[in-house]
Amino acid sequence: MRKSWLAVFAASTCLAQSPVPYERILNAATEPRNWLTYWGDYSAVRYRELNQINTQNVHDLRVEWMFQTGQPGAFETVPLVVDGIMYFTAANGYAYAVDARSGRQLWMYKYAIPKKAILPNGTVNRGLAILDGSLFMVTPDGHVLALEAKTGRLIWESVMAPNEQSHGATLAPLAVKDKVIVGVTGGEYGVRGFIDAYDAKTGKRAWRFWTVPAKGEPGGDTWLADSWKRGGGAAWMTGTYDPNLNLLYWGIGNPGPDIYGASRKGDNLYTASLVALDADTGKLKWHFQFTPHDQHDWDACETPMLLNLKWKGRDRKVVVEANRNAFFYVLDRETGELLMATPFERQTWAKEIDAKGRPVLNPGAEPTAEGARVCPGLAGGSNWMAPSYNPQTGLFYFAYFEACDVFYLSPPVYIEGKAYWGSMARGMDQEKRWGVLKAIDPATGESKWEFKFFRPSWGGTMATSGGLIFSGDEDGYFMAFDAKTGKNLWRINTGNRLVTAPITFMVDDRQYVTMPSGAALLTFALPNR
Amino acid sequence: MKLVILLIPVALSAQIEQGRAVFRSNCAFCHGGDARGGRGPNLVSAPLTHGESDDAIKTVIREGVPGTSMPAFSDFTPEDFADLVSYLRSLSQGVNRQVHIAGDVAKGRQVYLQNGCAGCHRVGTEGSVFGPDLSRIGAARSVEYIRESIVNPSADVPDEYQGVTVTTNDGRSVTGTRINEDTFSVQLRDVSQRFHMFQKNQLREVKDAEKSLMPAYGALSKADLENLVAYLNSLRGASQKTDLVNKGAGIK
Repeated sequence: MRKSWLAVFAASTCLAQSPVPYERILNAATEPRNWLTYWGDYSAVRYRELNQINTQNVHDLRVEWMFQTGQPGAFETVPLVVDGIMYFTAANGYAYAVDARSGRQLWMYKYAIPKKAILPNGTVNRGLAILDGSLFMVTPDGHVLALEAKTGRLIWESVMAPNEQSHGATLAPLAVKDKVIVGVTGGEYGVRGFIDAYDAKTGKRAWRFWTVPAKGEPGGDTWLADSWKRGGGAAWMTGTYDPNLNLLYWGIGNPGPDIYGASRKGDNLYTASLVALDADTGKLKWHFQFTPHDQHDWDACETPMLLNLKWKGRDRKVVVEANRNAFFYVLDRETGELLMATPFERQTWAKEIDAKGRPVLNPGAEPTAEGARVCPGLAGGSNWMAPSYNPQTGLFYFAYFEACDVFYLSPPVYIEGKAYWGSMARGMDQEKRWGVLKAIDPATGESKWEFKFFRPSWGGTMATSGGLIFSGDEDGYFMAFDAKTGKNLWRINTGNRLVTAPITFMVDDRQYVTMPSGAALLTFALPNR
Repeated sequence: MKLVILLIPVALSAQIEQGRAVFRSNCAFCHGGDARGGRGPNLVSAPLTHGESDDAIKTVIREGVPGTSMPAFSDFTPEDFADLVSYLRSLSQGVNRQVHIAGDVAKGRQVYLQNGCAGCHRVGTEGSVFGPDLSRIGAARSVEYIRESIVNPSADVPDEYQGVTVTTNDGRSVTGTRINEDTFSVQLRDVSQRFHMFQKNQLREVKDAEKSLMPAYGALSKADLENLVAYLNSLRGASQKTDLVNKGAGIK
């Protein structure tokens, strides 16, 4: 009798819900069993020291469980896993906690989206943040919520901005110290974007960084007349964080209107830029603009990954990014200084990026009324699909589109709550488009291997010490690759397009891999022998 | 009062210009840059199959035409619809919507049968599904497009009828239209209407045909060609609203 009680106690302690203080997130890489932020840690390397599943046995990987949300629309979440419990969101305002070994539900939360809400990005959601005993999520109409991790009950709700102006939100918040950092969508609706920090305990706003400066502020002179008021600069993806520098790195979206630039002459800071912000105050430390005066919708919302690289014989703290404009950038993350910019695919818009980081433009790349063909196309280049880095190979793994578009332009009329594009882009008829998963040396930009997807694909990547890279394609294949060679070692057709990045974690003695597909959350493991 | 009179034409011309911009980026790649037809019907001088009222035109744009390649532009704003209609009206102002056909429909049907067109195409329930179904081709395509498709079929090959030749690892080669393809597999339909399905690791090569799989009928006499065009233009069967089969749609 005593023995069986001990056994029950031992099993339950394995799955005890422990709080997640800031110190735990700081050291997320030291507990690879868990996945504690949208990126897995603060640096966004998306690498895990887990090798139970490896190049030798990955061919045996199989579905362990499926969780059906029943929610239509793109399933873009990245789950969190904390001590055997998985937390994730789905479209339409849902959040769930499930047993990470079985997929059995522990609780469900549903945010009631107001019927009349303007939803600039539909009801898509990319996931949660956790801090202490609270989870944080944003809503399609631009609210921030704190939920009690053990029940899913609402603790507080804050409104980021009036929804009538088309502000929405899709990203997974980032919890840093005692704050929750979020940003808005609406870059296609003429919003003026911002990044906000909220007190994790109370929901009170701690600071706001306007991604588009007002007239008279530094950078305000990069906007014609009052065009800054509708200047876009949505901050729709999660940023990264360097605790030693206490800096947040956040990608800023396209200027508004997207395609039509004549009404907003100037560089249009800080759109299509990376900003480094003081995490305590939201004050700008530096910025780097990838695409000044963007007219191709090339948001800079790709992942700003933080790496420590040997750079010309010297250790350097860098931030690397495969941008939507088809260039791979390496910046010093203390100063924002450009160290390297090199194209990773076919592109027609820039002759080169000069030493200061400014593109030298090719003629003919501006949108016209009759249409101008430009590579990459509107979606990029790379995009928000997460890259990864494996320190064992020293390689950076990312997905991008090989596609060109014809960009048409016409003067748009701003109407509050309506799309504000300034015309559109579309693919060339009968011109092939495809997707690529690529491994490059981030110190040189040199390509080490490539794997071609039949269609441009929105799946992100994840790296493990098992020598594997996981990714997925537009046709629904979830795949594992040899990190060194790019050889495809395993695949499964999941039956729906894959539009987010996988995670891996451990519960007890088993390693799992999770990937959302369609309305289902699929979790894989090796057979239990 | 004068001011108002002046403003109306200005506003209208702005609306037409806006409509032209919407048309260029959303419609022109099918209906042609001048809206006189391409892969999609001529919207300027041909009769409009689904009605000529503003509401009928808006409904077609908003809802698409099920069973055809006309998609639904459901996210257009009311302003977009109004602008597009203004633009189209400005093009067809004073135009008598009718198609001038020199050929003879009955003779054209004979040309169709004698040249073996039914070996690849279907009209109603007759013929093969290897090539595009022609049951409503007269409603779906301009006369110019139909004529060009006969004499130079490679001028425009719809994605759904892209020819592909695969070569297996043991050297066998199969040609057909691409029904579906993804990173790891490809599915073809050959001229005998059989499906061929391959995993790409069984294949040495998957090669897209550079030309249409349809032979060019440039050698037809002028009379035969015009008769054939007249016959094809007369084919205006209903779209398959209740029996929609989305070929090779995969998992989109």
